[in-house]
Amino acid sequence: MLHEITLTINGESYPVIVKSHYTLSRVLREQLGLTGTKIGCENGECGACTVLLDGEPVNSCLVLAVEAEGHRIETVEGLSKGGQLHPLQKAFIEHNAVQCGFCTPGMLMTAKALLERNPHPTEEEVRFALVGNLCRCTGYLRIIDAVLEVAEKGGEA
Amino acid sequence: MRPFDYYKPTTYEEAFALLTRPNQVMMPLAGATDLIPMVRDERWQPDGVVDIKNLPGMRDLRVTPEGLYVGAAVRMAELVRSPLVNASPWNLLAQGAQAMGHEQVRHRATLGGNLCTASPAADTAPALLVLEALALIRGPQGERRLPMGEFFLGPRKTALQKGELLIGVLIPEPPAGSVGTYVKLSRRKAGDLAIVGVAALAFPQDGGYRWRLALGSVAPTPIRAPRAEEALAQGYDEATIAAAGELALESCSPIDDMRASAVYRCEMVKQITRRAIEMTVQKLAGA
Repeated sequence: MLHEITLTINGESYPVIVKSHYTLSRVLREQLGLTGTKIGCENGECGACTVLLDGEPVNSCLVLAVEAEGHRIETVEGLSKGGQLHPLQKAFIEHNAVQCGFCTPGMLMTAKALLERNPHPTEEEVRFALVGNLCRCTGYLRIIDAVLEVAEKGGEA
Repeated sequence: MRPFDYYKPTTYEEAFALLTRPNQVMMPLAGATDLIPMVRDERWQPDGVVDIKNLPGMRDLRVTPEGLYVGAAVRMAELVRSPLVNASPWNLLAQGAQAMGHEQVRHRATLGGNLCTASPAADTAPALLVLEALALIRGPQGERRLPMGEFFLGPRKTALQKGELLIGVLIPEPPAGSVGTYVKLSRRKAGDLAIVGVAALAFPQDGGYRWRLALGSVAPTPIRAPRAEEALAQGYDEATIAAAGELALESCSPIDDMRASAVYRCEMVKQITRRAIEMTVQKLAGA
């Protein structure tokens, strides 16, 4: 079954025709060319495909594209503004919180949602928020440091 | 992923007509956090899915004269953050929802999905068992109510008949002075299914305390532990708490799986039951 829908992504409207069973992650990457969102496990375990839906982190591999209509979608492509990296992106670079980079878009989006809801999280709160984002390179410590630094500096998240 | 059709009815009549289509496999869809992986693995092969999130009442969360009404499509994250659920006397449900999955999953997964999947490990089930919630079921023939203890029939089996939907749960206000604790043992502190999950609820009665205990991941369905509950009515000194752990184990029939062996689970039933009781005792002292 086909559905003619309009997705609102990073503030822009994208009219798109999707099949019922297409996931949001698939449509973002394959139909809209927004390949910043990664696909890892396709099972809701790894968090590589995390995007924000109405400001909250979700696994875009577990959302049907047709379900996302009418909701505000944010992807990693929407983080930098006017050529300026987002404070979280800068902090990830400064702390070497990126190695292979595959988990980074998902980490950034989950961290953004956390800081919007809770601008000054404790380390434990950061760790709990990031439970659903797996990283096999960094050992997590640098990622946690980067998120905490943005929180401490009160960087607009 | 094998293709299926997607429907989003706005009335129950429409939903039941879709769900009872002859010769087609039609499945309700709520959070999809279970459905999509199951379809991807081809363990489920629906011809169509019926999104129930737009049906009247499904997203409601409100206090009624009969207790707290939680629509089946209310998400775990909403239960965790809702001041209504977090506040006494229903916060045990918020504890269960908080223990489930991780942030991303909790923002999609629904209470109805957690229950209808009927995993023995469902984190909200022990809380609802000790809160003595009712499952509200609606089907083409009308509505019925079922105590939560009769809703689960086995792993992935519920009392729902073909075409019926769980539309929500009704949680009566627990007895005055109730405090509760959910303790979950898993391989990681968060983001995994329970090896053992125990919910304990205690409330003052006749100069002492009455207890209710429920366990997950240690039997084909989430279960109550009535003999342990009776033992605790005598008091909660160290020896009685230890005895309650042993009695709780008598209600269990755990299996070996990828998360833990049955032998380990049995040992942990005693430990986690004790921990849930002790944490509840501390709350009683603070109340």
